[in-house]
Amino acid sequence: MTGKRRWGWLLGVVAIAAGLAMMAAAFSAAGTKSRAPSNPQAFPKLRAVLDTIDYLDPQQAYTGQSWWAMWNVYETLLTYRHVEGAAGYKLVPGLAQSLPTISKNGKVYHFKLRKGLKYSNGHKVVASDFKWAIKRGFLATGQGVGFYTDIAGAKAYAAHPTPNGNISGIITNNKTGSITIKLATPRGDFLTILALIFAAPVPGGTSPDIQNGTIPSTGPYRFKSYDPNHSFVMVRNKYFKPTKYIPRGNPNEVDVSLVGDADTATQMVINGQADYSNAAIPPDRIANAQSKGRLKLRTNANTYYFWMNINESPFNKLKVRQAVNYAIDRGKMQTLIWGGLGKPTQNVLPPTYPSYRKLNLYPHNVTKAKTLINQAGANGAKVTVWTRNVSDAVDSATYYTSVLNSIGLNATLNILPKATYYTTIGNVATHAQTGWARWLEDYPHPLDWFDVLLNGNRITDQDNNNYAWYTNKTTNKEIEALKKAQVLTPAVNARWAKVEKQIMMQAPWAPWSNRTFPEFFNKSIPAKCIHVQNLYGIDLARLCK
Amino acid sequence: MVEPGATDLTLDSAPLLATEEHEAAIIGRSPWYLAWRRLRRNYVALGSLGVFLLIVICCSLAPVYAHHVAHSGPNDVHAGEHVRVSGKLRSVVGGGAVYDPKTNTFDVKPVVYLPPTWWHANGRFVLGTDKLGHDEAVRLLYGGLNSLKIGIGSAFLCTFFALVLALLAGHFGGWTDWVISRFFDLIWAFPVFLLAIAIGTALQVNGFHHFGINIEPGSLWIPTLVISYVLVPYVGRPIRGQILSLREKEFIEAAIGQGSGPLRVMFSELLPNVASTVLVLFTLIIANNIITEAGLSFLGAGVRPPSPSWGNLIASGQDQIQTAPWLCLVPGIAIVLTVLSLNVFGDGLRDALDPRAKVRLEH
Repeated sequence: MTGKRRWGWLLGVVAIAAGLAMMAAAFSAAGTKSRAPSNPQAFPKLRAVLDTIDYLDPQQAYTGQSWWAMWNVYETLLTYRHVEGAAGYKLVPGLAQSLPTISKNGKVYHFKLRKGLKYSNGHKVVASDFKWAIKRGFLATGQGVGFYTDIAGAKAYAAHPTPNGNISGIITNNKTGSITIKLATPRGDFLTILALIFAAPVPGGTSPDIQNGTIPSTGPYRFKSYDPNHSFVMVRNKYFKPTKYIPRGNPNEVDVSLVGDADTATQMVINGQADYSNAAIPPDRIANAQSKGRLKLRTNANTYYFWMNINESPFNKLKVRQAVNYAIDRGKMQTLIWGGLGKPTQNVLPPTYPSYRKLNLYPHNVTKAKTLINQAGANGAKVTVWTRNVSDAVDSATYYTSVLNSIGLNATLNILPKATYYTTIGNVATHAQTGWARWLEDYPHPLDWFDVLLNGNRITDQDNNNYAWYTNKTTNKEIEALKKAQVLTPAVNARWAKVEKQIMMQAPWAPWSNRTFPEFFNKSIPAKCIHVQNLYGIDLARLCK
Repeated sequence: MVEPGATDLTLDSAPLLATEEHEAAIIGRSPWYLAWRRLRRNYVALGSLGVFLLIVICCSLAPVYAHHVAHSGPNDVHAGEHVRVSGKLRSVVGGGAVYDPKTNTFDVKPVVYLPPTWWHANGRFVLGTDKLGHDEAVRLLYGGLNSLKIGIGSAFLCTFFALVLALLAGHFGGWTDWVISRFFDLIWAFPVFLLAIAIGTALQVNGFHHFGINIEPGSLWIPTLVISYVLVPYVGRPIRGQILSLREKEFIEAAIGQGSGPLRVMFSELLPNVASTVLVLFTLIIANNIITEAGLSFLGAGVRPPSPSWGNLIASGQDQIQTAPWLCLVPGIAIVLTVLSLNVFGDGLRDALDPRAKVRLEH
């Protein structure tokens, strides 16, 4: 063998050996399972996997995943208790010293800020920061501005928002820390609206431009970094002082990876590459995942439904809408779409509400559905079913389309990108006939459902949330009247239940599920350490290892 | 009669010589006949053609299979049904978590989808079911039908437009060639998939309703037209190159000299001489288009669910890849077999038509 050939052979052997070594290292890294720490109290880092977030800007974020993170970062005047179950819906003081005093006419709310509050950059939190947060929402056309238009002067400000403009209904005093909010009309849900993250104070003058993870925080954590569509990191806010109602978080650091694929996210937890995932585990893997990790089932207030535009044929006929409700096999859909992790429903409200009264107006009956379609003369009517390009939405809409075809309609499916779905179906020019939708509660009050989704007075030509374009004089009037009720007394709840039944008898919707969400943990997290806050999900304050 | 041993060989004497030597008359053969003779000796190419034709026939018989064997349409949801497999009654989709209202808890159990019955259920659910209870075998055949329609249809359109543009560019040259070449360059500059996804997604929302043409959002015409549009340069440029070289040949000059107009020159002189190239490219572009369609459908920009195609079958099957991997594998294998058979046949065809030709699709 010549010298050159010998060197060539030797280099080849070394290259192969190096490649094999790298492969072995890669496989062993992939298969590494996390070991339980020797000190069970230590909890240096939580590695979480979320499927997606929209923003990390308090005046912009409007997804459950974003809010799960931001509840621990941006505090509001009022917040919710860090406890399990219905008690977690109780409003408690956050940045405010106490619950507000409310005038007799329900229009004036008076708060006082806690003393000594600081942002994560060390700057003082002052009363006017709250006003700036509301103004910033209007300046940035944030997704939550609609909640605050009942503040006196807000509508005028919204028409021509400027940084130096004023919302006359918010009066602040930085010396005393007082915040007075005057409403144009009383709202029974206003306290819960104030607890939304949209109203989290931010330093005065913070630019209305979207700022993901860079706005100083007031909560137990702050954002350390954000890599769009990839990851973000939360670390402790050293200026945060825990209170009776807002405890410190347990993990020192929370590393969040954004992984869109549910299978991958689930496998990461099983493999020990992540501690927690909120991904929608595929139905056929749920039982398997439970055996390989810790599955916590969380039932928050949600309703999945198919809306039917009462202005578009054939759904402008009541019998057709009722036929659809009769035709859907809600029980079977829970298995098909969620692997059984859901409860069939015919209600608008989920069962977590005190005003919930179970409805069974449309027991599954395909024969009756076909008869109603015949009676309505809608046989062969062309229908386009709209849905968004997300697995469960496509699956449920596919099933829904087949149901419509089975009762005599001529239905086809139209799948839109996730990012543009709601704006498209909420635009009157689309003339969308029927489609998929869901609503996860923003705050625990029936107004968050009926006023937003089914009040004819709130219908807009664009960005409309009432996808059925449902309007009815009786129910509209009753919703407006119930808006003023300050407290959800049994009598008020009974009126809400009556409104719901009246609406469902008109069948603008075909509700089909209250979903139960799987929260999946690695086995290194003991089951007793996993606690759920009904509104915001896994509670970092009580999570342990 | 030529004296044996004579060395003079003229055109007049050659047939006589051949007859004496081989007792058979020389018959002039066309290039097509010679190509066919070369092709029929290429058993691999013929075998591949046979595989492709078998796939086409099977997919074409999808309605027959669905109606007479599986008793299920491609979009029929059988989720709540039961079927007898080897005498045992089984749920098409069963299991799943069970809710106990008394304790308000769920007993988590696995969801069980009917696996392949392999003809033990009288032809129903031969390849099992997906998460919505569809008959996968029926969807595979209908998916193949849609994929082949789009692949072959777009190949026709793409080749036709590419040929027309290439003929115009190659024959006229000058400004015509410049404009058409820049048009090719413009489309060529975009990555094929990105351009196809952008156009396909935009058209899928509201369809196409312009210039008197009305195409509904879910129509197969949309992916067909999108794919044929984005791949025009990939067929047009090789043909244009060949025409440019043919244009300088003497027979073209002769035709022009005899008073032939541009149309006659293009279609009577140039076109027959590029026909073999066009034929090979057409075969290869079908395979390319089937892959493109599968990719677009996988990404949601091609055939729209619930209409099946091999690409969207793979996409919908990936959720169950751990428990039912055949839902992804079988359509994937179908794509591989189809594309491979077309490519091998296309190579054989190229060798047969002109063994010295270097015709290939370049991306």
